[in-house]
Amino acid sequence: MENTNTDLKIRNLKKSFGKNKVLNGINFELTEGERVVVLGPSGSGKSTFLRCINWMEEPTSGEIIMDGERVTAKNIRKIRRNLGMVFQHFNLINNLTVMENLTLAPVKLHLMSRVAAEKRAMELLRHIGLPAKAGAYPASLSGGQKQRVAIIRAMMLNPEALLFDEPTSALDPESIGDVLSLIRELAERGMTIMIVTHEMSFAKEIATRVVFLDKGKIIEEGTPEEFFNHPKTERVKEFLKKVL
Amino acid sequence: MDNFFSKLVELFSTQEYIDSLLHGFLLTIQVSYFALLIGLVLGTVIALVDTARRSKWMVLPKFICRVYVGIIRGTPMALQLFIMFFVIFAIKGFPSIITAIIAFGLNSAAYMAEVIRGGILSVDKGQTEAGLALGLSNLTIFMKIVAPQAIKNIIPALGNEIITVLKETAIVSMVGMYDLNMAAKDIGSGQNMASYIVPMFVAALFYLATIYLITFIVKRIEKGLRRSDLRTEE
Repeated sequence: MENTNTDLKIRNLKKSFGKNKVLNGINFELTEGERVVVLGPSGSGKSTFLRCINWMEEPTSGEIIMDGERVTAKNIRKIRRNLGMVFQHFNLINNLTVMENLTLAPVKLHLMSRVAAEKRAMELLRHIGLPAKAGAYPASLSGGQKQRVAIIRAMMLNPEALLFDEPTSALDPESIGDVLSLIRELAERGMTIMIVTHEMSFAKEIATRVVFLDKGKIIEEGTPEEFFNHPKTERVKEFLKKVL
Repeated sequence: MDNFFSKLVELFSTQEYIDSLLHGFLLTIQVSYFALLIGLVLGTVIALVDTARRSKWMVLPKFICRVYVGIIRGTPMALQLFIMFFVIFAIKGFPSIITAIIAFGLNSAAYMAEVIRGGILSVDKGQTEAGLALGLSNLTIFMKIVAPQAIKNIIPALGNEIITVLKETAIVSMVGMYDLNMAAKDIGSGQNMASYIVPMFVAALFYLATIYLITFIVKRIEKGLRRSDLRTEE
């Protein structure tokens, strides 16, 4: 607990899938209130990096320290409650209604009574304009609706930070707008956010810091102003030329 | 044809024949029912061991399950039945119905295990990840997320297995048990009836009707479980 304003510290994180080395030693810190956008070419390890933070993928080596506590197989469940995650393919639970998706975790983890959880869920559903969908199954929702429900599902646990793994990559342009404005709103309310995305204009607008990954390493990081207007490395210059 | 119908009338108006058929039918149902029960329980256990995460404690159980399923699926049911009757339970006075139930139960377990394993593996990994990301325990994830979705995928194949076992129990007549199949043969070879075609036709109708009923029930269950797939709202 030596440094109380750092939420998350990552030291020399490595991850291989068999012989395929995806992350080659990542050092990273995330402080409360920061909004970090992770960029990089495909195959650079962005998603794997994000997924290692809450152990969706178990790191091969390195340390992840959350609120002064080293993440291990033993405390990972507790850590995950504080690190909400939003997936590219939404991952709403198909056999549960929207309401059940929202209330399952808080009730099962004894964080809220069922009544309180349903009340909170209804508030959030009203907020995103989908109160009528409470009793519906995910199959009857559009992609954008699913993703917004997935975001408020993560919010149900009042996490300290939210991890977004390409949240708009599987959506149509109109839905992308809806999802991005919900994320923007969370950002404005001071939520700590880490997001892997290909939405460059959104990245510019929302980020307090941009991190660029290439071949499993962070090769450049800085404020959006520095990163987009004064890139330091050739690799980033080349990347920006292609995507902007 | 006249002969066929007169024999049919004769069969259904002779109490002895009716008793024989019902007696045989009851045995077929009993063996199938209890064998399927054993198969379902043991098959579930095998499937759970097989799909469990790899760890040093699971190496041996996983190996045993693989070998078991391999042997059962790799040898004829009739041979397994013979081994049960003439080797393992070759004990004088041991009730043959128990032996038959065990033989079919152990056989069905291997097939059910494969069906259930396939059902569990067919659930999208993202569903488990959703549960993990929410901090849920593995047990909760299995019970609330994976199992309900797996069951939906399993039911049609399970219905198939029920039908297979029901029909396959007919081979107990090979070890002299009096099931529906045996009853048909017995009635047909009797001096009074002197016709195989009629009792066998009736036995076939019994099997058909039972299987039709099972198919109907399975379809109903399937429909109920598919509720969450509907794109329309409640």
